[in-house]
Order: sequence, then C-alpha cells, then structure tokens
Amino acid sequence: MTSHSLSWLLAVPAISALVVLLLPRSWEGSIRRFSIGAMLVELVLSLRLVFADYSGAGYLFVEQMSWVESFGISYKVGVDGLSLWLIVLTTLLSPIALYASWGSITTRIKEYAFSFLLLELGMLGAFVALDLFLFYVFWELMLVPMYLIIGVWGGKDRVYAAVKFFIYTMVGSLLMLVAILYVVTSYKELAGHYSFDLQELSTLVLPAVPQYLLFSAFALAFAIKVPMFPFHTWLPDAHVQAPTGGSVILAAVLLKLGIYGFIRFAMPLFPVASQVIGPVLAGLGVFGIIYGAYAAWVQRDLKKLVAYSSVSHMGFILLGLFAMNRTGISGAMLQMINHGISTGALFLLVGAIYDRRHSRLLDDFGGLAKVMPWYALFFVIITMSSIGLPGTNGFVGEFMILAGAFISRSSIGFGSSWFVMTLLAATGVIFAAVYMLHAVLRIFWGKVVHSENESLTDLNRREVASLLPLLAMVFWIGLYPKFFLDKMNPAVDSFVSDFTVRYYEGRRTAEPHLIDIDELKLKLEAARGLAMAQPLDEEVAR
Amino acid sequence: MHDEANQQILLLLIILFPLGGAVVNGLLGRYMPKSLVTLVGVGSVAVSFGLAVTAFVELYGLAGRDVEHPALIYQFYEWFSIKLPRGQVVAINVRFLMDSLSGVMTLVVTGVGGLIHLYSIGYMGEDEGYPRFMSFLNLFMASMLILVLGSSLPVMFVGWEGVGLCSYLLIGFWYENRVYASAGRKAFVVNRVGDFGVLIGMFILVGVAGSFEFTDINAAATGGQFRADFPFGILGVMPSLATVACVFLFLGCTGKSAQIPLYVWLPDAMAGPTPVSALIHAATMVTAGVYLCCRLSPLFITSDVAMAIIAVTGTTTALLAASIAVVQREMKKILAYSTVSQLGFMFAAVGVGFFAAGFFHVFTHAFFKACLFLGAGSVMHAVHAHGDADIFKLGGLKKVLPITRWTFLASCLAIAGFPLTSGFFSKDEILLGAAAQIYRPDDALQHGVGWFTLIGLSLAAVMTAFYMFRLYFLTFTGEYRSADQSGDHPYDAHPHESPPSMSIPLIVLGIGALFAGFLGLPHLVPITGTHLPNWWTHWMESSVAGQPAPEEMHVVNLASGLAFGAMAVGISAAWLLYRNKSRDALAEKMPKRLFQLAFDKWRVDELYGATIVNPIKQVATVAGRADMTFVDAIMTKLPALNVREAGRVFSRLQNGVVQMYGAVMIVGVVAVLGFFWAPHSHIEATFEGKNVGLTTPPGLGYEYRWDANSDGEFETAWADAPETSFEYEKRDVRDVAVFIMNARSGVERRIDVGKEWVRLPVEAVAPAATLRPEDVGFEVRVDGEDLVFRRPDPPTLLAGSKELRLPMGKDGRLGPARVFSRPVIEATVEVRNAFGNSRRATKEITLPFWLEDAPPHAALMSRGPEVVR
Repeated sequence: MTSHSLSWLLAVPAISALVVLLLPRSWEGSIRRFSIGAMLVELVLSLRLVFADYSGAGYLFVEQMSWVESFGISYKVGVDGLSLWLIVLTTLLSPIALYASWGSITTRIKEYAFSFLLLELGMLGAFVALDLFLFYVFWELMLVPMYLIIGVWGGKDRVYAAVKFFIYTMVGSLLMLVAILYVVTSYKELAGHYSFDLQELSTLVLPAVPQYLLFSAFALAFAIKVPMFPFHTWLPDAHVQAPTGGSVILAAVLLKLGIYGFIRFAMPLFPVASQVIGPVLAGLGVFGIIYGAYAAWVQRDLKKLVAYSSVSHMGFILLGLFAMNRTGISGAMLQMINHGISTGALFLLVGAIYDRRHSRLLDDFGGLAKVMPWYALFFVIITMSSIGLPGTNGFVGEFMILAGAFISRSSIGFGSSWFVMTLLAATGVIFAAVYMLHAVLRIFWGKVVHSENESLTDLNRREVASLLPLLAMVFWIGLYPKFFLDKMNPAVDSFVSDFTVRYYEGRRTAEPHLIDIDELKLKLEAARGLAMAQPLDEEVAR
Repeated sequence: MHDEANQQILLLLIILFPLGGAVVNGLLGRYMPKSLVTLVGVGSVAVSFGLAVTAFVELYGLAGRDVEHPALIYQFYEWFSIKLPRGQVVAINVRFLMDSLSGVMTLVVTGVGGLIHLYSIGYMGEDEGYPRFMSFLNLFMASMLILVLGSSLPVMFVGWEGVGLCSYLLIGFWYENRVYASAGRKAFVVNRVGDFGVLIGMFILVGVAGSFEFTDINAAATGGQFRADFPFGILGVMPSLATVACVFLFLGCTGKSAQIPLYVWLPDAMAGPTPVSALIHAATMVTAGVYLCCRLSPLFITSDVAMAIIAVTGTTTALLAASIAVVQREMKKILAYSTVSQLGFMFAAVGVGFFAAGFFHVFTHAFFKACLFLGAGSVMHAVHAHGDADIFKLGGLKKVLPITRWTFLASCLAIAGFPLTSGFFSKDEILLGAAAQIYRPDDALQHGVGWFTLIGLSLAAVMTAFYMFRLYFLTFTGEYRSADQSGDHPYDAHPHESPPSMSIPLIVLGIGALFAGFLGLPHLVPITGTHLPNWWTHWMESSVAGQPAPEEMHVVNLASGLAFGAMAVGISAAWLLYRNKSRDALAEKMPKRLFQLAFDKWRVDELYGATIVNPIKQVATVAGRADMTFVDAIMTKLPALNVREAGRVFSRLQNGVVQMYGAVMIVGVVAVLGFFWAPHSHIEATFEGKNVGLTTPPGLGYEYRWDANSDGEFETAWADAPETSFEYEKRDVRDVAVFIMNARSGVERRIDVGKEWVRLPVEAVAPAATLRPEDVGFEVRVDGEDLVFRRPDPPTLLAGSKELRLPMGKDGRLGPARVFSRPVIEATVEVRNAFGNSRRATKEITLPFWLEDAPPHAALMSRGPEVVR
C-alpha cells in the first residue's frame, strides 16, 4: 500500500497542532472549530482503514522508512485487526471529548486544543507503531499533553494528581526502555545488526529466565497504564481532577494502551514469561474486578465511582487477555472498545451534571429523573451497557471474556484455578449492578430534596450530539458485534498460534536464538499431528 | 430434525411488534395523545397475540403430520461466536424456535399479557407516566418473548436479563418513592445473582455439548455426554457434569422464579403497579425458571442429585411462603407469597421428573394468579388504596364489586384445587408425581425426596386453600370496614366497580381459571380407574422429557385423596374462622411470638442482611477507605518518602568538605583496583554439530588454559584466545543426566539421578516396564505412584529413550512423556591476569546430543511401553 494512510493519520493532528500554535490566542472560535474539524478529518481518515480486508491477519498499510540507520531504528507503522478498532475508538472519542470540553473549558483555549491534538497524535502513533523505539516515543509523547490537561485545566488538587500520574507512568516506562534495549542488544548479538523492528525482533527467542525479567519490566509499564491492582492508585486522583474531556480520553483510550502493549509487545516477545506470569496478572485482574467494584460502591463522588468501575472493568479485560485463547482475547479486545464507549459516555454524563451543579457528590442529588428525564434515559442506558446487559455492547465482551477464561487450558498449576477465577470474575457481574444501580438510585430516584436541583435544565444540544454516537455504538456492538469481531478474529487467531509456537520454542531453549516462525509452525503442526510417533527431542539434539 | 421447518418470519414479528411499541412510546409517548399511546401499546401486543395464534396453528398442523419434533424456526443472523479449545467455532445465532413448549408459553405470554395491557388502560390511564408505563410493559413483552422463543441459551439470556431490567424499571415505576425504587434495585441485584449461575451453567454446557442450542444440548444429554465426572471435586465430592451444570442453572431459576434462597425480591416487587404484579410477578416472568428447566428437561433428568435439590428446594419454598402468606394482612403481599409458594409447587414437579405437570401448573397458574392480582387491583382501584390494600380494612365488597367478586372467587377455587377447576387438575398431577416417586423401586434418594415432597406439598396445599379463602372472606364477605371512616387511614367510603377495560380481562381470566384445566385431564381417573385422553402430556411429549405417569391405582388414589383432602380442610378452616368475620381469628389463636415471626416473614431478609449484605458492605467500606490510604501509601507515599530521604542523605554528603570527597575517592579507587586485582571467569558453551565451543568472557591482559575433557588435566597451554572447542567422546563423560519430556509440548525437565533410586512423584503412571540400563543408561521403574530412577555404576552411555504415558499429575498435564538420558561433561578454565593472579571456573555441561555414531532414535517410531532399539 502506498497510499500513506497511516502517515496522513499521524500528520493531520501534528500539522493541526502546529497550526493551532500559530493562530492568535484571541481567535478562540476559530481555534475551537478548527481543532474539531481536524479531528473529524482524522475520523474520516481512520474509517478508510476499516474497509480494508483483514482476513489475512498480517499488517496492512505498512510504511517503513529508516530513521536512525546505525541503530536499526525505523519509522515503521501498520495496522492489523488488533489495533484497527482501537484507532477508530481514538479518532471517534477525541472529537467527542474535545467537543464536549468546548462547553465547559473557557480558559487557555489555544493550549487546550494544542494539547488535545498532540494527545491524539501520541495515542494514534502508539497504536500504529511497529518499531519499538517509535512506540516508545509516542508512548512518552502522550504523557505530556495529558499531564498538562490534568495539571492546567483540572480541579482543586490538579497539580498533585498530574504529578502522580506522570511519575507513576514514567517509572513504568523507564524500566520498559531498559528491557527494550536488552532485547535489541540480544538481537544484535545473534543477527549481527541492531533493529527495533517488532517483526524482526519477533524472531528472537530468549530462554525462560531473561524472559521473566524482561516481561516483568514491560508488564510494570503496561500494568500501571491499565491500571491493574495495586498500581491503580493514580487513576482515581487523575480522573477526579481531570476536566471532563481529559477523563473521557483517559478512560476511553489511554488505559487501553496498557492492554494493547501487552498483546502487541510483551506477550509475543516473551511468551514463556507471559504464560507463567500471565495467570498471576489475570488473578490480580480478578481481584481488581471485585476490589474495584467494592471501592466504587462506597464512593460518594460520582466521578470517583466511575473511576473505580474502570479498575473493575479493566480487570475483566486482563482476565480475558491471559486466558490465552481466541475467545478470551477477542472478548478482551472487544471489551476495550466497549469500555471506551460506555465509560467515556459515563464521564460525559458526569461532566454534564457537574457543569450544572458544580458538584459530583451523590448526596447532592436525588430525584433528577423528574427534572432531567432525557438525561436519566441516557444515563440508565449507559449504565446498562456498563453492567453488561444483553443487547448492549458490554454483554458481548464480558460473555466472551468469561467464556474464554472458563475454557482456558492455560496452565496455572492446578486444574480448577480458571474455574475459580471465572466464578469470582462472574460475581463482578453482580457487583457491577450493585454499584451502578446504587448511583442511579441516589441520583435519579426519590424526590427532589435539594432545591438547587429543581431548576436544572435537561441535556443541551451539544451534550446530546456528543452522546448520540456513543449510544449508537452501544447498540451496534451489542446487537451486531460480528462486524467488529470478524475484523479482529483472524489477527487474534494468528496471535494465538504464533504465541504457542514461540512459547514451546522458548521453553525448550537454553540459549537465545533466532527462529523462522513459519517453518517452526509447520514443524510443530507435524509433531502434534503425529503426537507420540514423532520424537520431539530429536529437534533438541540437532 | 429441523428439516421439516422452514423460515418463519412470524416468530420475529411476534417479538418486533411489542419492541417497536416500546421504542415509539418510550421516545415519543410523552408528546403523543393518550389514545395514540394506548393504540400503540395495546395494539402492538394484540397484533403480537394474533401472530402467535397464527404461528401456533401452523405448529399444530405440523404436529398433526406425525413429525417427530414439530417446530417452527426463524434464523435471523449470527450474533457472535466463541472458539472452543479443540478449535471448534460455536456460532451464537439470533435464532427463534417455536415448538410445543415455547408455543404454549408464547400464547400465554401474549394472551395474558394482552389482557393485562387492556386492563392497564383503565388502571394506569390517569397516571402522568402512562406512556412510560406502556413503553416498559411493551419492552417487557418483547423481552419475555425473546426469552421464550430464543433457540439457544445466550439468546434466551437476552430475554432473561431483559425481563429483569423491565422488572427493575416497573417495580420502581413510581420512582419518587425511594422505597419502591430500592425494591426495584433489590429485584435486579438478586436476579443478577441468579444470572451469574445461568452464565456459569451455560459455559459448562457449551464446553461439553459444543453448542448453545437447546436441541443440541438436549441431544448431548440424551446421549449421556453429561454423565461424566466434573473435572475436579467440589468440597470433596465428585459430581457429574450434569449435576454441576444443573445446579448453576437452577441457581438462575431460583433468582428469576423466586425460590429459596433468592425469593426475597418478589414480595418487595409488589411496590410496582398492580398490572405489573399480575403480568411480570405472577403470570409470566417468574415462571421463566420453570420454563428453562422444562426446556432442558433431558439434561436435568440426567442428574438425580440436581433433581433432588430442585424438588426439595421447591417443596421447602412452597411451605415457607405459604406459612408467611397465612398471616399477612395486605392483599398483594398475600398474593405475592402465594406466587412464591405456587412456583415451589412447579419446581417440586420438575424435581420429581414431572416436567409437563410443572409446566401445566405454569399454564393454569397464569390464569388464576393474573386474575387474582387484577382482582386485587380492581379492589384497590375501587377503594382508592395506593400501593397495597389491608384486608382488615375491607370486607363486604361482594355487593359493590360483583364482577370482581365472582372472578376472584373462581380463581380462589382454582388455586385451592377445587374439583374440576384448572388448579385441581394441575395440582393433582404434581402430587401424583411426588407419589410416584415413593413407589419408584430401590432408590433411597428418590424415596426420601418423594416422601418429603408429597407431605410438604400436601401441607402447603392445605395452607394455600386456607390463606386464599381467608383473603376472599375478609375482602368480600361481612361488612365494609372503611365505611364509617374510623381507624387508621381508612379507604374510600364509597367503592365502585371498575370500567369495562378492567372487567373484561377479569372475566376472560376467570373463565380460564375455571376451565383451562380440561386441557390436561388426568391420565387415570381416581377410584374408577378410567383412562382419559391427556392432551397436555401428549402435546408436550415432543419437547419435554420426564418420568412416565404411574399406572397403579393406589398411587393415583393417594395423590387425588391428598389433593382433595387438603383443599377441603383448608377451605373449611377459612370458612369457620373468617366468613363474615372482621377479626384475625388465627392470629388470636396462634402463640404471639410465632405469629409475629411468621408475620415478619421469618426474618429472612434480616438474616440475609446480617450474614451477607452487611459483611460485604463492610468489606467494601474498608476496601474503599484502605484504597486511598493503605494501598496508595504503599504504592505512592512510601516510594516518595524513600526518594525524599535518599535525596536528603545525598545532599548531606555534598557538603563541600574536600577531605570527605577525597575519602570517598580513595574508597572508589580501592574498589576499582580490587575488582581488577583478581581475574573473573565463567564458562559458556555453544554447540555446533558434535563440536562444543567453550568461551569465557575476555578480560584485559588475560590468558587462559582449558580442561575440557573432565579429567582434571589442562590440555591446552596458556593462550590469549578466550575460547576453545572440543569434540567429546565417550570416555570424556563424567555423568549422565536424565530428562523427562512432555512429548506433546516438548517441555523437558531434568531429573537428578544418582546411584540411589530417585523418586519422581507423579500421581499415577501407566504401565511402564523396567528400562534396561543398557538401553538408556539408567533404570526407571514404577514404585507405587511414583516413577523411580537409578543410574548404574559406572554410568553407561548408551543413548536411548523411553516412552511413558503420564496422566494429569502434580506436575501438570504431562500426557505422553519421554524419558531420556544425556551425557554430562565437566569443563574447567583457568584464567590469569597481568598481576599474576589466577582463577579457575568449572562448569558442568549437559550435551544436547548422544555420543554415538548411529542415530539414537532410529527405531523409536513404535508406540507402547516397550523400547525397541
């Protein structure tokens, strides 16, 4: 493909960000319109990616250009079924979040627009990068605008929250950088040249022990981003302090980069370690499901409640991911989109009520269904999506994740662990209903007890316009998820089979070496087909 | 088996009409005139009923043509799919199926539902939320129809949770009352506990049957696929797959159908408007659990244990709920507990294997219970009671509410089991099932369950007749106690009969309550022993499994005698105590504390609160508090503190005192020199063919000499190159290493084999012959449950390999395994540096190849335990 689709996708926000920087500060209206326009162009550009043929499981729209030749660093980008919908999620939610922000952000418009465009660039770059160095650059690039968004336009304790967010993420990513460098050096020793290219590095098989260490370094960076218990404590602070638009992007897209990092980088590069450590992470995910739900239940601040619900939902995604089968991983991938939509919408809704009432405390509400019926309708529908009611998007993802975990054959020592984990995770379905309906009860039902609430206006046109696309997605994915799954399944299938081959190879080896994955796959297929007849240890002997 | 069936778009339309009605009324209702709302709301259900009748007629025609499994199918589209471990892709289709079971249920849902919609015009017409009410009611119809018509578990589950949502919305319909809204939430959450069970049950079923379709699961169950043991024990017992799956599914049924332990939401659900109580919480939704059991009857009948659990749960619930209903004061509350109790009857029938009888009770119950609730609504409408009506403030209403009174009486007779009413036939069948269980030969479990069920249900039947007529007499006979407007919150002094939109449904349902039972005449008439044609059982045969009806006359007589006796005793007692009376005679006769306990519903809600809800809430509170203090402290504050303190220490060191800097520098120099003083060394081995390359890290000015062949003598002279290579022969070997390898995955594991026998614990080992040392260089045999190994002395070096089949053990899923040996050599390098210091490094190296010329595995293609060389 020479259409440079992905380069355009990255160029538009980059150029627009520069343009915004050059516009005079006083042209607020133009800046608002221009930044939204640029993001809509992005959306259209990303929709072009959807119509490609993803049945082949390889990367599409690949572009490669050498960047730092002596270190094998290149500008290499591409899309496959794993990243496609995350890209679309990003381009869909960015304009929505920015558009919603224009209702409440009144200061430093120019910088806000600049930060958002830069953020979109960082996120999209991280999703399309196929070069570890490039990925790292984008990964860090996202950090800065988010830091600014929280720190400048946030709430009362915004600086604390922003710094906490920054340091947490930074600590994780520095270790990841060290791990990346180790992998690249190991590769150089065997191949004779440096390379940061993911596909080239994928031919490297390391023995178990270094895999454990390297995987742990990657996992720390990604687990903080997810966030996985116990690395989640930056999240409630960041969410509560961030402005609505920031929260939306944070919950909807940034958290997904953690999971994406696992599936794109950590798991393929270190299959042995992810097979061994993965179930532990899945276990922490399950713990997070219940823990997050409990913590959400007792929050008084609605935004904090939604933040903790994210911890719970992301636990589901971790569980599905490390079930290590097609069902679980596809479910996790789909649930990422679902979580982005429903939690994004929830933050928009929380923002809407905050703009009116300047409070998010549950105690300050009650009986709003009477005053704001449309708002109540939207909120209840999104709530149902969030707790996974069949017919909405949340159900399909949760169902696939739980089914995938239930049938997982991934070894964890004793036979019933996945059964127990699935049972515990499934109780999360109950607790989700508890905390979300608790919020609904406190906000909407009952009589209007606070006189300030009597004159609240229902959703305005801007809010409805930003929520409607999300609502449409809720039902689209809920009723016809096949459209989305068909594009990601081939990629997931090939991920699982590659993973299996590399896992066995990693288990067998005592020394780092390079492999030809396709050849090995054939060999393993043959060996499995013959089962006992083919002595596998001959391979070791050679 | 579906070849006969063609695509039936009717099935889809039956669902789409109410769904469309819900959307229209929900979004636009508040801007539409009331008549249009009514037209959309009631009309859509009426059309749906018409379509259901059409479809049913077609199905009936199919059944007449001697088709084995008459069914109408509509395959809409593929929803999504999951992939099983063996690579099989299970598609989840949005697919609807109408067979004899779901056909009847569809008629009940649309028919009774339609009547209740009609009733709602009068009952709810004045409410400002009327469009919303109609919208929710239509949404409920659509969900219930999806539940009934869904041909697979996930599609059914859409309806299953959908009706839960509607129940939530409708219970909390008058949301301004916080208590009502809380009741709605309770219903939703308790139902979710059940849904959790359905989810898990579903996963077990698909794991075994490889399909979510009911027909496939039932076929797998009939084929005995669920009789295998569950993969691991639970609390020390090894249940069958069917038992575990059924118990989880039944947990879902207890939630939806309000059985112990999850029945607590249903009485509270009476907070909803009365038509809701009639439609959702009596006639249709709550019977979904029974429906599911019938749907999967071939599966349930596979597990005796699960069946026993269901029968005992059903009977206990029937008793418990009846005992509460006996002392309550409010109409809807009595009817609610009555519903719980009657659902218990249905599950008891399911549990003794009389699925068709249980479902027959679903059918008859829909008529009389809907009629009773609507009657109660009519009374409340007449006296302007909001929420619920205290029967001790009513009385004598037969004069002013004749239609309500006669239909209510008909339904009371039916639920009490008065001869020839619908309830008489269905309850009789259930007791017959319990009695048949007693006479089933030689099964202690079934006998016990049979006795328990028969006695329990008879007692519950007595109470049923009693509390229903207590309700009837106190409401309709005697004097109207609110007429003089004395006492607490009296009702309207001048009650009036309801409008026709409310009385027509009452009449239709009342007629059904009296005569619907003739569809299921008893197979054998008691005493005379005449055989009658039982349309119901015959019709259900094609889709519902079950135990055969007993042929012995004494069983039939016992069951009928008990049913009749219970009814007679119950009605008589109520007649004596309550006819034309105004006081609660039973309460006065009962011990006060017992009465209070029963009146407080045996304090089960409080028990759950103290044992489940509050502890969880406390844990949640602790978790919520600890998160921002404890967890955050460990993850954030502690590292931050460390960094700050470290910074303080280092900044103190940078104090500008030059002597201090000098001292630090000297320490550093010494450390560096110390490092260089002695050489450092370790050995890395690389293999290329039979050549082994040995390397050690190079150092400045280092020299090396090597002993590769394990003999303690250095073969090479001092040289600059940090590597050497060596070709090993048999005599260079020091030791033999033994490996066990999973032949499937290639994962290998080294075993330390010495001169003594070494154990490798595996839980059990399939036959393994003693391996001859000359084959593999060591002996392996089985001792008890362990594999044991021994190395001969001196170690032999013959290459070889031994196949074993190791079952799942502590070491994971080994499966086919291979045991083999490898030569071990020892290499030593001595390094010396410019200071003249030297150091030795020694490494044991396991060679990844055999020291033989002939390919070692030439003859290993054979299977079985014998090693062929």
